[in-house]
Amino acid sequence: MGFKIMPKAALPAWIDRLCADYRVVGPKPLHGQYIFGDIHSAEELALDYTTTVLPPKKYLLPPREELLRFEGSNAEPVIEEDAPPTVVLGVHTCDLHAIHLLDRVFEQGYADQHYRAHRENVVLVSIECLKPCSEHSFCKDMGTLSADEGFDLHLTDLGDDYAVDIGSEKGEALLEGLDAVRDATPEDYERVNHVMAEKWPRFPYRLEFDVTELPSLLAVSYHSEHWDELGERCLSCGMCTKVCPTCYCFNVVDEVDFTLSAGKRIRHWDSCQIDEFAVVAGGHNFRPTRAARQRHRFFRKGKYQWEAYGLLGCVGCGRCAQACLVHITPVDTFNELYRRRVLYTARRQEVHT
Amino acid sequence: MSKPRVAFFEFTSCEGCQLTVIDSLQTHIELLDVIEIVQFREAMSEKGEDYQIAFIEGSCSRPGDEPKLREIREQADLVIALGACAHLGGINTIRNWQDQEDVRRYVYGDKADWYETYPARPISAVIPVDAVIPGCPIDRHEFVTIVKQLLQGRMPRIPDYPLCIECKLKENVCVYLRGKVCLGPITRAGCDAICPTYGDGCEGCRGLISNPNIESLKTVLEEHGLSMEEVRAKMTMFLSYQMMELEREAAGNGD
Ligand code: SF4
Ligand code: SF4
Ligand code: SF4
Ligand code: SF4
Ligand code: SF4
Repeated sequence: MGFKIMPKAALPAWIDRLCADYRVVGPKPLHGQYIFGDIHSAEELALDYTTTVLPPKKYLLPPREELLRFEGSNAEPVIEEDAPPTVVLGVHTCDLHAIHLLDRVFEQGYADQHYRAHRENVVLVSIECLKPCSEHSFCKDMGTLSADEGFDLHLTDLGDDYAVDIGSEKGEALLEGLDAVRDATPEDYERVNHVMAEKWPRFPYRLEFDVTELPSLLAVSYHSEHWDELGERCLSCGMCTKVCPTCYCFNVVDEVDFTLSAGKRIRHWDSCQIDEFAVVAGGHNFRPTRAARQRHRFFRKGKYQWEAYGLLGCVGCGRCAQACLVHITPVDTFNELYRRRVLYTARRQEVHT
Repeated sequence: MSKPRVAFFEFTSCEGCQLTVIDSLQTHIELLDVIEIVQFREAMSEKGEDYQIAFIEGSCSRPGDEPKLREIREQADLVIALGACAHLGGINTIRNWQDQEDVRRYVYGDKADWYETYPARPISAVIPVDAVIPGCPIDRHEFVTIVKQLLQGRMPRIPDYPLCIECKLKENVCVYLRGKVCLGPITRAGCDAICPTYGDGCEGCRGLISNPNIESLKTVLEEHGLSMEEVRAKMTMFLSYQMMELEREAAGNGD
C-alpha cells in the first residue's frame, strides 16, 4: 500500500480530533524520563522520546486488572471488560514486535478474553526510530529496528512532515476527513528512502554473533557457571521483568469487601525473578536460587518463546539493562555465554589435533 | 456470626500505628460492624479482657514487658504484631549496637538506675506471633485488608517481594538515578513505594524480604558513593535486629 504525507503542522488538529473519539495515550516526559500516559493535546506528546519506563504493553495487559466481580456464592460472577477504544501513539518498532509476540501468546489456542477485549479496542500508531534510544538498546541485532506490519498506522519523521504508512482499516479510519493529509509523490518516496538509508548506520550491532544462533547457544549453555555468577549479583528485585515488553506472567487473587462473600477477582503482573514465584502448593520452591531464576529468564527470552511461538522473547529494547542496579544485561549475558562457548570449542579442537 | 472481640496493646513505641488504626476506623467505619473492640487505650476508656484477637504495637525492651506479653498470648487466639517496632524491634533496636549502660544514662540521666531496660526485640522474640502488619507506621489499606483476611479465617498474606516491584509499576524515577540511595531491593513491598514516590530512598521500615541479597546491595551502595559506615547506618535504621540475627546465623554456619 502506498503511504500518505501529513504535515507536522497538522498534528495538533489531528490529536484534537482523535481525543474527541478515543482515549489517546502516548509518550510524555515525567521527571526527566518518559512514560506512556494520557494525551489531551499535541503539546503533551513527545514523539521524539527516547524510551519509556514501562512499555505500551500496559494498555493490553494492565499491571492490575479487574477480571470479574462476584456477589456471594450463588450468583453468577459478572465478567468485567473495561476496554475503552484507545489510540496508542508513538509506539517504537521494538514494542510493536513485542506486541506481536503477546498476540501469539494470548490468542493462540484458548484465547484470553480480557487481552482480546483490549487488543480489539486498541489502535497502534507506531513511529520509526531514527537513532538509538539508549546505550542499552540492541534492536538491530534482534531484527526489530523496523516493522513491515503489526501497526495500524506507522509514522516516519521527514522533517516538516510525517510519512504515514497505513497498516489497517482501523488505522485508515483515524485519518478520515483530514484535509492536510495527501498522497505521497515520487519525491516523498525518495525522502523516505533517504531517511531510512541514513538511519541504518547510526545503530550499532552489539551482539558478537548472529541472533539466529541464540537458541542453540543457550541450549549448550544450560550448565554454564555464568548463571551462578549472575545469581551472586542479582538482587531478585524483579525490575527487569516489570519493564520488559514481552514479559507476561501474572497472578490472580480475590479481594473481598466487608460482607466477606462479595468482591472482585484481580489479575496483576508477576515476576519470575522474585523468590516466591515458583512456590507451589505445599511450600516447595522449584526454582529456589537466583542463578536458576536468571537462567530461566534468559532462556525465556532466547529459547523457550522461540520454540513455543516462533518468535524470540527479547526485542532488544534495553529497558531491563537500564533498570538493573547491578548491571545485568541481555547483551553482556549472551555475549559472555558466546565467548565461553567459543573458548570451549577452541580448547576441544586443540585436544583433538 | 458474633463479632470477634479485638484488643490493642502497646509496648515500646510512639503509638503512631495505633493512630493509623484510628484513622482507618474513620475512613472504613464498616470495620466496626464486623469487629468489636474491647480494649484500645488510644481510643476508649473501657477495658475488656475477653479478647480473641490482640494487636500489639511496640517492641519488647524491658524484662517487665515479658509477663504481660505472655498473658496476652494466653488469652488471645490470634496475636498480630502491629507496625515496625512489634514486627522488627523498629528504630528502638538502633541502641542494640551500643553499650546498654551508656544508653540508659543518656536517656534517663541521673535516674538511670530506676529503669531496667535491655536490647529491644520484636514481639516474636518473646511469644509466637500469628501475623504481622509491617511498616513505620503501618499502611492503613493493608491494615483493612489484613483484618478482612482474618475475618475470613485466612492467614494474612503480605508481599514477600521487594519494593522495587511497586516502585517500577508507578514509573517512579529510581532514586539511584537522582544520586540518592535506597533499600528498596531488599525491603518488603506493600507501602506502594511511598518514599521513592516522593523522591526519597527507602529506609527499610517494612523489614527484609525472605532471601535478600544484602552483599550485592552493599556493593551497589558503595558504587553510589556510600562509605562502609554510611552503608551500615543505612542498614541499621530499622533493620538492626534482622541484621544481627543474620550475622549470628552466618557466624553459626561458619563453625
Ligand atoms: S533487575 Fe537486575 S538485580 Fe533486579 S532481578 Fe533483574 S537482573 Fe536481578
Ligand atoms: S529482555 Fe530486556 S531488552 Fe529484551 S525485550 Fe525485555 S526488557 Fe527489552
Ligand atoms: S530499542 Fe530500537 S526500536 Fe526500540 S525504541 Fe530503542 S531504538 Fe527504537
Ligand atoms: S527507588 Fe528504590 S525501590 Fe524504587 S526502583 Fe530504585 S531502588 Fe527500587
Ligand atoms: S518506602 Fe521503605 S521506608 Fe518508606 S514506608 Fe515503604 S518500606 Fe518504609
